[in-house]
Amino acid sequence: MSETFITDGAGGAALRRVGVGKARVVPRGDEERAPATLHDTFDGALAAAGLLLVAAGDGLWLVGLPEGPVHQADAEPGFVQDMNEGPVTAALRPRVPALRRLIPVADATLARQAMALIDDEGKTLVRVAVCAVSTGHGSATVLTLSPLRGYDRPHARLRAALDPLGDPEAALTALRPPAMRYTAKPPVDIAADMPARKAATLLARTHLSVARANERGIVADHDTEFLHDYRVNLRKVRSVVSLFTGVWSEKDTTRLKDRFRALMAPTGPLRDLDVHLLDRDRYMEMVPEALRPGIVALFDDFAKERAAAQAALARHLESDDYAREAAALEALLASAKRLKPGPAADVPVAPFAQDLIWSRYRKVCKRAARIDDATPDEEVHALRIHCKKLRYLMEFFAPVFGPSEVKPLVKALKGLQDTLGAFNDAAVQQDALRAVLERLPRRGAARIEIATSIGALLTVLAQRQAEGRARVASSFAAFDSPETRAGFADLFHRGKEAA
Amino acid sequence: MKIVACYSNKGGVGKTATSVNLAHALARAGRRVLLCDLDPQGASGFYFRVKPSKKLGDDRFFTDVKRFTDAIRGSDFDGLDILPANMSFRDFDIFLSRMKNSRSRLKKALKAAQGDYDVVLLDCPPNISALSENVFRASDAVVVPVIPTTLSERTFEQLVDFFRDEKLPRKKIVAFFSMAQATKKLHAETAERLRKAHPKRFVDVTVPFSTEVEKMGVHRAPVATFAKSSPATEAYDALWRAVAERL
Repeated sequence: MSETFITDGAGGAALRRVGVGKARVVPRGDEERAPATLHDTFDGALAAAGLLLVAAGDGLWLVGLPEGPVHQADAEPGFVQDMNEGPVTAALRPRVPALRRLIPVADATLARQAMALIDDEGKTLVRVAVCAVSTGHGSATVLTLSPLRGYDRPHARLRAALDPLGDPEAALTALRPPAMRYTAKPPVDIAADMPARKAATLLARTHLSVARANERGIVADHDTEFLHDYRVNLRKVRSVVSLFTGVWSEKDTTRLKDRFRALMAPTGPLRDLDVHLLDRDRYMEMVPEALRPGIVALFDDFAKERAAAQAALARHLESDDYAREAAALEALLASAKRLKPGPAADVPVAPFAQDLIWSRYRKVCKRAARIDDATPDEEVHALRIHCKKLRYLMEFFAPVFGPSEVKPLVKALKGLQDTLGAFNDAAVQQDALRAVLERLPRRGAARIEIATSIGALLTVLAQRQAEGRARVASSFAAFDSPETRAGFADLFHRGKEAA
Repeated sequence: MKIVACYSNKGGVGKTATSVNLAHALARAGRRVLLCDLDPQGASGFYFRVKPSKKLGDDRFFTDVKRFTDAIRGSDFDGLDILPANMSFRDFDIFLSRMKNSRSRLKKALKAAQGDYDVVLLDCPPNISALSENVFRASDAVVVPVIPTTLSERTFEQLVDFFRDEKLPRKKIVAFFSMAQATKKLHAETAERLRKAHPKRFVDVTVPFSTEVEKMGVHRAPVATFAKSSPATEAYDALWRAVAERL
């Protein structure tokens, strides 16, 4: 079985110096060098899998698979599901999320060179395929070792000699320009004794910067994940502002809330349409065959609306007003001292977080325990919001309490959130479809067709909502287990039980 | 899996060159080939730069499946493996019969990296013996290089007689002219006479006497790797096609 190693740019040269007894590594044939473009998803799904996708004049090369470089002549990088079938597409499919588009990362040079470990008789013992990719930012060398039958020992010795060559992750990261070194969830170093204001500033600043890293992708409209990540991170900033009570002065807190709400507001319409369009196939499955043409017509309308919404948001994000406001917010969060302190500003993070999480947890339990079949929907929605806040708090402060301790509790909470989410999604979708119904033209065959299909969808969604609703009690019972209770009390109520 | 023996009851007729180049041509054509070096003097392994293994002198060799399969070496060419042997032949009969028996452990163990070998090519030692008879029985084809000279004519007749006497199917014999020199009148006349006498035994392939084939010893590689468009390369390509047709 062949296998692949990733080393830094010097890997090829280092290979030539490797000696295995009397055997040595020599080139076989000429090096093939071509200008190319390195592709990946924005969040580096391929790099994370140790892979390099390179578009050269002769097609696509996928480098880094254990079996060696794979080539496909007739494929263009994009969404994997839209790419021509072939060996590269097949290898990409399980490794690239369907929602992510493969986009150009950097101009590159692809150099391929066959090499071999040969013995003193000139017999090949191990074949080595060397693939070097270099960009203006860095270079990486991918070595694929293919042992020949009966030469296990020299293969093992060559492997051992290559093991210490370079750090694969660093080599792959170095290929990307700084603007393309995106991490959706960068670690935020919060220490237990850090003042709460400092922690809040650090979290808000980090999430704002992650959000902003997505701006260019939203404008270019590569895929819907840019906007999704942008919104998730702004929501996290807003959660820090609204949940970390007392870290900033009341006036500053209110101003921050308003400004971040305003910053996020223009993204709503596009995201709603994205969500609809991404659900297209599910909607189609929900209704009988006869009603599908109506859905198709409806989604054609959505697509048109989306194009307009995208253009509007792109204009907004590229406007001077937006740039000024985003920069001003960044400046406010650049240092912990820019905003006026509130009463809790200097409370150490650990007790501060314990109080926030514990009281939110108590609220969730109290409200959830009350829910039965007669509870109004509004209360279920309120519970969902409390769960979401609790989840954010636990994730923000996980570094303080130990990620491995917090993880099982988050997982338990997630089970409850999934049920509430299904309930909520069905409700939100019904509202959206009702809004569409109201906007439909007064008459015409198209109207009737679309309206009939929406009617069918509303029926299915109402059913789903009811199903989700019916599961809330049992989901909460599962969350409210003795272990989870003990876990929450232990982490977030330590030493306070007696008091 | 087909077994093809490369055999001549006369030395110096280009038998090992035939084994090496035929194996290489088959592999280039996409067949998975195992070349078994059974001729200690021919040393087809030498042409593939495969060092003889120390284990292989052992008599137990052919009875021990694992030792046998462990001795197989990948050549520098895709789809072509070598069994570099330098052994005594005491158990070779057993080896052959097991190779034919699809249920034997040997047959099961005898797999190339991507599955069964398509062709097992035996580079046989140049004599007629009890061993040869078993080789002939086990093989699906017996490839025989013949130099078109009077002496070779006689040894070829002996081989055909042997097949007739032992009631071996003569249609297994795939003979072709080897080391033929177009300038020699004697060669042309002998070739014509032999073709006439054994029209069904001879395929329409003539490997010319060529310095390229001799240079294999210098390059230590099949002729097609360093003289791609030489007449010899073309002749070996024609030979594998002719052999494949008989299988």
